[in-house]
Amino acid sequence: MAFLEMKNLVKCFGAATAVENFSLEIREGEFMSFLGGSGCGKTTTLRMIAGFEQPTEGSIRIGGAEVSNLPANKRGVGMVFQNYALFPNMTVHKNIAFGLMVMGWKTADIEHRVEEMLALIHMEEFRERYPHQMSGGQQQRVALARALAPKPKILLLDEPLSALDAKIRTRLREEIRAIQRQMGITTVYVTHDQEEALSLSDRIVVMRAGKIEQVGTPFEIYNRPANAFVASFIGTLNILDAHVVDAQRGQLLVEGQEVMACGPVPSGQVKLSLRPEMLSLGTHPSNENQLRGQLSNVIFLGSIVRLVIGTGSREIFLDTFNTPKLELPSVGSPVSIGFPREACLVME
Amino acid sequence: MIKRRGWSWFWFFLGALYFLVPLLGTFLFSLRGKRGALSFFAYSRVFADSQFLQTFSFSFKMALLTIVAGIALTLPTMIWVHLRLPKAKPILEACSLLPFVIPPIVLVFGLIRIYSGPPFALASSPLLLVAGYIVLSFPYIYRAIDAGLRSMDLRGLTEAAHSLGAGWGTILFRIVLPNMRVSLLSAVFLTFSIVIGELTLAVMLAWPAFGPYMALMGRDLAYEPAALAILSFLLTWGLIGLIQFASRGITGHSTGLGGTH
Repeated sequence: MAFLEMKNLVKCFGAATAVENFSLEIREGEFMSFLGGSGCGKTTTLRMIAGFEQPTEGSIRIGGAEVSNLPANKRGVGMVFQNYALFPNMTVHKNIAFGLMVMGWKTADIEHRVEEMLALIHMEEFRERYPHQMSGGQQQRVALARALAPKPKILLLDEPLSALDAKIRTRLREEIRAIQRQMGITTVYVTHDQEEALSLSDRIVVMRAGKIEQVGTPFEIYNRPANAFVASFIGTLNILDAHVVDAQRGQLLVEGQEVMACGPVPSGQVKLSLRPEMLSLGTHPSNENQLRGQLSNVIFLGSIVRLVIGTGSREIFLDTFNTPKLELPSVGSPVSIGFPREACLVME
Repeated sequence: MIKRRGWSWFWFFLGALYFLVPLLGTFLFSLRGKRGALSFFAYSRVFADSQFLQTFSFSFKMALLTIVAGIALTLPTMIWVHLRLPKAKPILEACSLLPFVIPPIVLVFGLIRIYSGPPFALASSPLLLVAGYIVLSFPYIYRAIDAGLRSMDLRGLTEAAHSLGAGWGTILFRIVLPNMRVSLLSAVFLTFSIVIGELTLAVMLAWPAFGPYMALMGRDLAYEPAALAILSFLLTWGLIGLIQFASRGITGHSTGLGGTH
């Protein structure tokens, strides 16, 4: 049963439509991410759930109760902002206690809850610090504790890590996930970072131009993208023009070379998408398909080495692990790209 | 480098002399109230004059009313404009410049003309004087509050407080006002300074204010006006000192430690 339910949400700003017919059900305790580029409507949708924006049309239900017309301070929804939004005039302790004080908790209960929250974020010794006396990562952890302290029904996070550097981002994202699991709170997370969405979420909503492109688990979104946009938005992808020879069997013609995909496939002109990590150099019994090309560049990416292979009019990326035994052909030499038919994503 | 620093000190001292020499001259002059000796005679005469206390307390009351009414009118309006009507900012900005463009004498005649008869017969009420003072101090109140609102993430803070269950009253008194302490104090003291020394409105509306009293003293006496000038300087400096005192420890929201741990 859905805990957070959005039905046909529409949000217009003047003549511009920011969110269009957005319908989604989120289960209790689920970690859902809204993923998309700038201006795709993900933050607007989050703000409608929080009560900061009024939907032009549609309804929002939390725990079965209609909340579309409730003001933000009556929704029982905790929010973490990109720029932390800690109250500068209050210490960490007072920031965390603010929501509890507003709700009229007893002083002893507030103290107990604040201690609990400080322990949760491992910041007991920062109790009396002011926001300007802490780093960005520390401030965001306090913001998370502040949002969780009043025990909200739903936790909303609006790109909470985008102002932090890469290392802190990775660490904090693991912390957020651990805390979310520990508290079992239904969470909606807005991000434009696919790695963040893939690593954190139970399910992901990929959005474009105010509409949902696909809803699915990270595995589904990555391995079975619903369309070319999702496929190209998530991860690196080789997209090749292909002509279908036999739609039922999945036989294609790519750059004049035959490729077998899992049939049936749409007929006519299609797009063949191949993930770089699904491709390998040379021939292998498990690879039904071979594409011939010429190695034009080798890009070192640390744990991964990316080979750029020219196949007529297109270039194909092939990723291989950087192992001590890795032997690569020299740039300019002819190579063969092998891949199984399961690696072929065929889209209209 | 040393040469450039030398010039900096030169201009600094020139500026300081420009301000301090007349002040020192006025102070020394104010001490010559008694022939042949330096004394605070002029000051004691000022304090002994019942009109000094009367006019000062009247202006003080008017200043308090102006500050309370001016901020009560301007602050919520500006918060609303910052949050909900950012397009109206240029209109407010233009309005805030009007008191610089319209001379006080024109303003006071306008006020008298409109508020002398029904339905708003306020010409004999000090409220009309307060209304005029609010108009005169509006540019200063506006700018001080605007600077305060710009210096904080008003939208983020109000939304964070809202999501934690706070209503507008709590947000205003627990979040917005404490974070605008310095700018509000600036607005308060600037308004106070303007009202205490204002002449035109008080004279034209015939109220026994401190401004007209100082003008009268300057016309009829020699040493007492100098003493009054020094007293008003001390008052202003005292207020600026209070702003500095109140703003201690307020450092904005920058991450003082740097980095992102």
